[in-house]
Amino acid sequence: MSEPDGTTTREIRTDYLARVEGEGAMLVRIKGDQVEEVQFKIFEPPRFFEALLRGRRFTEAPDITARICGICPIAYIASSCNAMEAVCGVDLPEQVRLLRRLVYCGEWIESHVLHTAMLHAPDFLGYDGAVEMARDRRDLVELALRLKKAGNTIMDVVGGRAVHPVNLRVGGMYRAPTRAELAALVPELEWARDAAVEFTRWVAGFDFPDFEQDYAFVALRQPGEYAIERGRIVSSTGLDIDVSEYEQHFTETHVERSNALHSTLAGVGNYLVGPLARYALNSAVLSPLAREIAAEVGLPDVVRNPFRSIVVRAVETVYAADEALRIIGQYVPPEPPFIEAVPRAGTGYGCTEAPRGICWHRYEIDDEGTILDAKIVPPTSQNQKTIEEDLVGVVKASLHLSDDELGHRCEQTIRNYDPCISCATHFLKLEVERT
Amino acid sequence: MRAAACLGSRYRGDDAVGPLVADRLREVGATVLECGDEPTRLLDAWAGLDLVVIVDAVSSGAPPGTVHRVDPGEGPLPRDLGLASTHAFSVTDALELGRALGQAPRRVIVIGIEGAAFGMGDPLTAAVAAALDGVAESVLAELEA
Repeated sequence: MSEPDGTTTREIRTDYLARVEGEGAMLVRIKGDQVEEVQFKIFEPPRFFEALLRGRRFTEAPDITARICGICPIAYIASSCNAMEAVCGVDLPEQVRLLRRLVYCGEWIESHVLHTAMLHAPDFLGYDGAVEMARDRRDLVELALRLKKAGNTIMDVVGGRAVHPVNLRVGGMYRAPTRAELAALVPELEWARDAAVEFTRWVAGFDFPDFEQDYAFVALRQPGEYAIERGRIVSSTGLDIDVSEYEQHFTETHVERSNALHSTLAGVGNYLVGPLARYALNSAVLSPLAREIAAEVGLPDVVRNPFRSIVVRAVETVYAADEALRIIGQYVPPEPPFIEAVPRAGTGYGCTEAPRGICWHRYEIDDEGTILDAKIVPPTSQNQKTIEEDLVGVVKASLHLSDDELGHRCEQTIRNYDPCISCATHFLKLEVERT
Repeated sequence: MRAAACLGSRYRGDDAVGPLVADRLREVGATVLECGDEPTRLLDAWAGLDLVVIVDAVSSGAPPGTVHRVDPGEGPLPRDLGLASTHAFSVTDALELGRALGQAPRRVIVIGIEGAAFGMGDPLTAAVAAALDGVAESVLAELEA
């Protein structure tokens, strides 16, 4: 590929899923030194699931929505449970809530480590992927796999299985783990906490492209804790609302050229959810150890460089291991492990912090508990417009790069968001056209 | 020990062949490894096994329902079959990673079923549905050979 000469039109197009054409793709069109167009298209399974949910029992929503994403089933289970519990007037007993938070910590660990170590780190080190990285840095890949497995084991023990957890239900858990079962996790989680600290030091040493954006951050906030499975929706622009008020402030607008929906916050425009937002809004309530490592590696209170999201994910991994140990340390098995939810007609809302950012659900049910309507807003679609803006900024700052290098930088930019389609990002089919 | 690893999503048209074959294999008591959408979960499960038969939908341009059998030996899984696309960290890479870390089965065989429709909510293509029982029998034959 030739170097850009400043006068030609360059088009960089990336199809994420070769097999399912058009589901996830990136197009950047450059004319001379002007970025003419950036389109980032994502795969949106929730539309299919919303239709599938209508007519089903309210108690089925957690299991059905868990299938939307194989990497973050707990996010969908927890948001749908919250919504159904809200409409049925169920208040979770503290130990039941903590079990939900514990299993969510497992999901954060697994998802964050998979993304940072296996998919994102190779970008910074010049490897095509984790396989090539493993040949040179076997120690680090083995550490990451063991760390990821520690998260997996929490999902296995609390969730019933690591793949498609089955132990969570509206109102709580089918079965509460015994104290001995959770205590058995402690040694490996203590190892994981230390390993995550080491991992954070490692990723913090990467070279980060010099790039910052003035983001509007949106995350959950819960007094006294780093919000995961509950909280109000807050923003860096002053928003502070109950999750039921989401649709009064956030709108999804249809983008004609791409069939996609773009989320915007009233009076603000596009916004960002996920690790950078959580850290900017809630870092003061991270555990002392997580705050200490963040300070040691020089993270500012607000991180505006999206490439450094890998460091924030690593800090959140330290936190998740630390928090899991805290929950296990005070655990008393709840008896019974769930509150029976009695359906009543109404609308319920639920929102939790998926590893990628807030995952918002709304369900309308009738007196019999039949789902009449469902609406799911996953984190990646909320970030979509912001990802496009990052791409515009990154491309403008990187016009001197060859098409190959520029394409790679764009992929890395998208991976900053750990989008659900990050799945396939090491199998990108990158097409560069010059006209 | 021998096991099957069946990949795919039940909700995505012909991508459901993996889980549907897994159902048939479990009914007759075969060992099926689960990984959901995340094949690095296979690393521990398949380390040291004598044989793993990977069952997945593929998209290579052949007529729907065509059954491909690939024995890659020591080599990588073929990328031109279109195996490595919709799953998180592809099974192709999970195998290579496992080999690099000494966490791979001794031998793998891929049984790929050519699909035509992979959209969310698409029904199974008739030719793919018709191939399911035969595929399950071939996998069992591999596991018992």
